[in-house]
Amino acid sequence: MKLSLKWLSTFMDISDLSVNEIVDKMVKCGFEVEEIVHLSQGTNLVVGKVIECKDHPNSDHLHVTKVDIGSEILNIVCGAPNCREGLKVIVAKVGAELPGGEIKASTIRGVASDGMLCSLKELGVDENLLPEESYSHNGIEELDDRFEVGDTDILEKLGYDDTILDVSIYANRPDCLSMFAMAKEMGAILNRKAVLPEFDEKSAVGKATSFVLKSESNNCPHFLAKVVNHVVIKDSPEWMKQHLRANGVKCINNLVDISNYVMLETGQPLHFYDLRSNPAMEITVRDDYEGTYTALDGIDYPIEKGDLMITSEGKPIGIAGIMGGDNTKILNDTSSLIIEAALFDHAQIRRTANRLGLQTEAAARFSKGLEPLCQNKAMDRAVQLLIELADADDFEETVEYGKPDYEPYQIRETLKHLNSLIGKNYNMKEATDVLDRLDLTYAVEKESFVVDIPSYRSTDLKIPEDIDEEIVRLTDFDDLVSTLPLMPQTVGKLSKMQKMRRIIRETLNDHGMFDTVNYTLVSDRYIKEAILPKGEAVELISPLSDARRYVRTSLMNSLLETLSYNLAHYNENVSLFEISKVYAKDYEEERLGIVMQGDLIDNKVKHISVKSDFYVLKGILLQILSKLGFEMGRISLRENKLDTIHFHPYQSAVLYMGDQVLCIFGKLHPVYLKTLKLDDVCYAEMILSVLDEANPSKVKAPVLSRYPSVSRDISLLLNEDIKAADLLDEIRKAGGKLVKKAEVFDVYQGEHIEQGYKSVSLNIVYEDKDKTLKTEEVNEIHERLLNDLLTHFEAVQR
Amino acid sequence: MLDLELLKNEALKAISEADSKKLEDLRIEYLSKKGKIQGLMAQMRDLSAEEKPKFGQLVNDLKNAVSTAIDQKKEMLEKEILNARLKAEKIDVTLDAYVPKTGTMHPLTLVQKELEDVFIGMGYNVAEGPEVETDLYNFTRANTPEGHPARDMQDTFYVDPTHLLRSQTTAIQMRVLEKEANHLPIKVICPGKVYRRDDDDATHSHQFMQCEGLVIGESITVADLKGTLELMIRELFSKDAHIRFRPSYFPFTEPSFEVDMTCHICGGKGCPTCKGTGWIEILGSGMVHPNVLEMAGIDSKKYTGFAFGAGIERIAMLKYGIADIRDLFTNDIRFLEGFKR
Repeated sequence: MKLSLKWLSTFMDISDLSVNEIVDKMVKCGFEVEEIVHLSQGTNLVVGKVIECKDHPNSDHLHVTKVDIGSEILNIVCGAPNCREGLKVIVAKVGAELPGGEIKASTIRGVASDGMLCSLKELGVDENLLPEESYSHNGIEELDDRFEVGDTDILEKLGYDDTILDVSIYANRPDCLSMFAMAKEMGAILNRKAVLPEFDEKSAVGKATSFVLKSESNNCPHFLAKVVNHVVIKDSPEWMKQHLRANGVKCINNLVDISNYVMLETGQPLHFYDLRSNPAMEITVRDDYEGTYTALDGIDYPIEKGDLMITSEGKPIGIAGIMGGDNTKILNDTSSLIIEAALFDHAQIRRTANRLGLQTEAAARFSKGLEPLCQNKAMDRAVQLLIELADADDFEETVEYGKPDYEPYQIRETLKHLNSLIGKNYNMKEATDVLDRLDLTYAVEKESFVVDIPSYRSTDLKIPEDIDEEIVRLTDFDDLVSTLPLMPQTVGKLSKMQKMRRIIRETLNDHGMFDTVNYTLVSDRYIKEAILPKGEAVELISPLSDARRYVRTSLMNSLLETLSYNLAHYNENVSLFEISKVYAKDYEEERLGIVMQGDLIDNKVKHISVKSDFYVLKGILLQILSKLGFEMGRISLRENKLDTIHFHPYQSAVLYMGDQVLCIFGKLHPVYLKTLKLDDVCYAEMILSVLDEANPSKVKAPVLSRYPSVSRDISLLLNEDIKAADLLDEIRKAGGKLVKKAEVFDVYQGEHIEQGYKSVSLNIVYEDKDKTLKTEEVNEIHERLLNDLLTHFEAVQR
Repeated sequence: MLDLELLKNEALKAISEADSKKLEDLRIEYLSKKGKIQGLMAQMRDLSAEEKPKFGQLVNDLKNAVSTAIDQKKEMLEKEILNARLKAEKIDVTLDAYVPKTGTMHPLTLVQKELEDVFIGMGYNVAEGPEVETDLYNFTRANTPEGHPARDMQDTFYVDPTHLLRSQTTAIQMRVLEKEANHLPIKVICPGKVYRRDDDDATHSHQFMQCEGLVIGESITVADLKGTLELMIRELFSKDAHIRFRPSYFPFTEPSFEVDMTCHICGGKGCPTCKGTGWIEILGSGMVHPNVLEMAGIDSKKYTGFAFGAGIERIAMLKYGIADIRDLFTNDIRFLEGFKR
């Protein structure tokens, strides 16, 4: 909402307040001022007359002038093409402060110049606010006879002495998109009475009419139309032009200007049709038209079913609530017209305006909602102004379709309820003072007050709490005390998943890995290349771009993209992770993604480096699971048969919790990585929701053995396909309870080992919880175990 | 007697000049059972019964003196050896250290964690909800029915006519209200990702995070809201921070307030960050609208409550001085490395 302070001052005296004081008060009362625009700025300005204008001796376009400003004659060099003898011009004297800086006495190409002849643009006037006929578009402003040499009130006389506040209006106050309601609001804010023009019932004039008005759409519940058989087209008065310009509205002629002006005043978009274009004397609102239609901007718009159209004799004559039609618009010779003041459904207007890309003032107002009596007020005001400014005469009676949706009502509030909600101690006077400022009528009954709600506040004031907000808003609120809720004690704690996330993040951080947050919305490539997707991806109806069309079904691509970004920016040894939800149709789960590239540890001081490979990743995953209470016994590791497109078929695996896939991990497939211009990357994607549903093992103190253990090593030569896990399982099976620990400490293939075979060295620790094992006992078990391994795996002892 | 004095002098001199090997020889020479001092005992036989104890005492003193001298010398020599060894082990302590690699938590994670910790300390729980939401929880229950002008304020990503990517964590609040309607009071915060149809630039992102809070109980007031938010701001930014309320509008609260905090950069004096006002807009809040309570099945005559919501990105950007919101989603590790705590 653009609020012209000059216009505002026609409703109340604000001459005692500075712009900043006004803005501060508005902000306190809930109106944010986004921008303060001074229509023009300039000090030390005076009207001068060019009494001599010669070409500059050293320039092909500059002029050397003598300018009479009454008190003296100044030499001024001027570059404007329209500079000539006899002109009345705006002179900025030496010392003048203009938006472009201070004017100083200077010498221009060898000629002294004591000031500047100004264009309005140089005084800060926005080019769009200049009248079309203004000379300032291409040169200095040429002043007319109203101006006398020596005058200093130039900007005032031109109407550019205004300040415009760009006020943001909350969705609950669409009434404030009108100057009248805003003036009332400003009256409340500044605590002074706003005096609005009287125009009640002004449209109750006119003879009987044959005009027919219909709506065939539910989206037009109320429509007023009035035929005016005589109007005189001419220029609008200067004050109206100034107010319109200040609001960024182009001035055309008195008729068009009145329709725009009444919209600014009342908030109701009006439309005037040339009566000649409607010989049928009939208007029907329809929403079933399909086809192109040329609006008054001369552009063809594709109209679809559902769009509200104003029609006559079945043919469209305007896009309802958005823009009038080219075939029915006011022309230079219009002498009679039809006034339209209608209510159209805000959602439908918004849809049509968005689709057509036609964001007009009218569309914006309908979209945000109108106060219920808006049509009637606008009709009254339009008739009044047409009579005053367009010699309107020979009216026909107003035709009405439907009824305004408003019945007077009241809201009752008590001081007790007010104070118990706010936590303050308002008394009745403080409360009713606010109602007085808002110009609301009310009755006080003991500790309660009953407020009458006028139509223009009915969009916002509905329940007692709404009245409370008005009181809070318009009284000083900075003295509100700070307390804490008085209520039964509650225990605040993190959920299991929330705790898990923290443990995972801390653990991975300790390995030098970075927590990342990536975008949820991804391209279709990400969906095609997803890891373990759980169904069809969720697709947006209207995405901002194809790159952000789907809700991601896995985290891998986001992390790989982030990895690529980092590598491209000269970061090395990048290990990243992300914890986030992923989605599919009717499906949600939380996942952890880990990507590792280069070395996990690379310490030049200690000459240590640990390359990020399958085993490093596996170890970290098992560490996380163990910290979360899931030891290897609860989880099984199996061959990766789920996805060998993205993963290296021989360097990847899947972790299961029971039958549920918990995690797929390993080296990514070199062919896949090549498509991303990457090489040698390990990745894991773990489904945290699986862990959230499972019960972690209870923490139990370890029982320490009081008896010594015995350690033995075995080296075997066996087929390279035999898995370490199988060897260890066999050892545990054969050794039973006495095997306390068994591990592989070396695997060797190469020289001295036949192709297809490998040498595996194992360490086994024996221990009996109840006694010291004798050497013979150990020998016996160890021998049995060794023989078992040799036969079972067709191995040879080395 | 003279012999004793001589022997003592001779021994002490030899000890003082000895190295560690020689010292062991001297110990044997003087103090062993067949050593020189023990040998003196042979003279005892020639002495009278009266002189015997006296002589014995003198020999004993001599023995102690020599023994002490040897121990002291030994200690001294060991110290010298140790000092020499330590000196030989000298290193340059200014050389680069072994610094274990540490990753960092994302600044958004850090802010969320901090918020969680502040409110858990005050007895709040942390509630979550789905990001692919229904318009029921995202809008309708939040007093924003179909066609409400406020739906215009948030251009939303729809996935079908009734499902959308939640545009506000208010959706979580609405789920909590419904679930806990019969288990009042409610004290929760609701952090999470939200999505809006905004083009990404330095200050806008189509994806961002919010953290909302909700308290429902008997006789909860705006003053309680102010006290709670003041605590939060002081924990997050500065112990001396103040807040002020400006009237505002949200469909799900009445009255509604924008909340400003004392500028954490200048402490309220006025600076470029706060555009000279001394205040910084930090969150939105208000008293839960009676319609919202009633829709969730809570008696709005008996219960009141407050709600507030802050942008986690905004807090992070203010707190850490991040100028461009996109830096939070680029995840350049040179940027992330800055957030060690």
